Amino acid sequence: MNRHKLFIYLFLLLVIIAMQASAQQVDSLLKTMDNSAKFNTVESTFKSPHIVLSHSTETQKKHDLDLRIRHHFGDIGGKFGGAHTLYGLDVATDLFIGFDYGVTEKLTIGIGRSKHDELYDLYVKQKIFQQKNDGGMPINLTLLAQVGLIARKPFATDEFSNYSDRLSYFIQPIISRKFSSRISAQVMPALLIRSATGDVNDPENLFTVGFAGRIKLTKRLSFVADYTLVNGLSRADNLATKYYNPLGVGLEIETGGHIFSLNFMNSEYIIENSFVGNTQKSWNKGGVRFGFTISRNFSLFKSKNKNQDTKSTIY
Amino acid sequence: MISIKNKKLALAAICFLGFALQGSAQTLIGKTIKVNLFSSTPVEDIKASSNMGTAVLVTQTQELAVQVSIKSLVFDKKLMQEHFNENYMESDKYPLAKFKGTIEPKIDWTKDGEYAVSAKGVLSVHGVDQPRNINGKISIKNGIVNLDSSFEVTCVAHQIKIPRLVFAKIAEVIQLKVSGTLTPLK
Repeated sequence: MNRHKLFIYLFLLLVIIAMQASAQQVDSLLKTMDNSAKFNTVESTFKSPHIVLSHSTETQKKHDLDLRIRHHFGDIGGKFGGAHTLYGLDVATDLFIGFDYGVTEKLTIGIGRSKHDELYDLYVKQKIFQQKNDGGMPINLTLLAQVGLIARKPFATDEFSNYSDRLSYFIQPIISRKFSSRISAQVMPALLIRSATGDVNDPENLFTVGFAGRIKLTKRLSFVADYTLVNGLSRADNLATKYYNPLGVGLEIETGGHIFSLNFMNSEYIIENSFVGNTQKSWNKGGVRFGFTISRNFSLFKSKNKNQDTKSTIY
Repeated sequence: MISIKNKKLALAAICFLGFALQGSAQTLIGKTIKVNLFSSTPVEDIKASSNMGTAVLVTQTQELAVQVSIKSLVFDKKLMQEHFNENYMESDKYPLAKFKGTIEPKIDWTKDGEYAVSAKGVLSVHGVDQPRNINGKISIKNGIVNLDSSFEVTCVAHQIKIPRLVFAKIAEVIQLKVSGTLTPLK
């Protein structure tokens, strides 16, 4: 009797061990084969290659072309604003149309044209480091070099006496970090090299430091802001004209391949080569203005994809 | 009546037998399981694919588990791939999609052949578990098992929200195809 009992117990034990072992085996085997940690790069620290006024660390995806239309209206308040200009909406201090194109996943080139100074700009942007979520790389680093060409007629006969006086260069390493899916921050020191300035005391080379951030409110709506510190660094403070540090805040709405930004900023101009050195309006004195960005992304060379498993079709 | 010593010995022997038996229970694994995703609407057809899915099959218990890393799914539009990961699948939070279940009916895994089967278990996508009964085909040849299954995943069932603005472009029910080869684990 006892012996029978023992055998039953032992048999049950055997069954339990065997069953447990196989269940554990499936889970532990599955775990060892989990390859999701291979995909350790942190993507989309910012939604777009631009924040409000400044560039972000993001570049265009490979073979993606972004058409970007930007608009800065006039002063909301103060002497030039108010009801007579419908709070600045009658005025366009700057308009911009430009294209950003991803040559590779890491290299983007862009061209654009602004209303102010009839400025043509060309930039090259290269991603150097991308943040990793396994601690390997804590930051994103992107290098930006942008050249601006003023195409307008000279205001005075001695302006642009050399053709090279029309050129300006903006060089900026951009460092950012995505702290969480909602919060990203960015810092970007920069050097603006100008050929001529209106004031003899205003240095041709301006060293600046920018700060920017994003707070994602929902999956498709973000609050973004950027600030560029110009005064108090390499710029003299006894200039004939009063200049202010540019500050822009905005709401960024993303829907598929479109991005709409509704912005407020004190800077009249759109491109770094113009706004970094020439912002003459202040947030305090009604100089803040409304602006918007419309961006539409086009994927080019889709017909090059011969893989039927990933080929998408738009009817 | 057996002595305590003998009892211990018998226990040890049977435990050993248990492990030995477990060893003989065939386990198969697949490391290049192909996962195809297909969304079709009158406006746009979207396809994505991964060949980095992994699978485990225990023949004795007929248990089957398949998983795929969401970020391994490749789209031809990289922006679309980014949106898929960021806005829909939240792959930083939920890196894997997984199915774990038991194959029915009972199959003789030592015999070559083709079997229409169904797997009853749990499908976990976007962190939401759904009990599912998924139909598929299993073919066995020389101890190597081929898996092939097509099924549908309803976005709403897994709390994947599609905003009205892009409703026309993304299907509410996504077609999935899982196929691949499993070989005996050595």
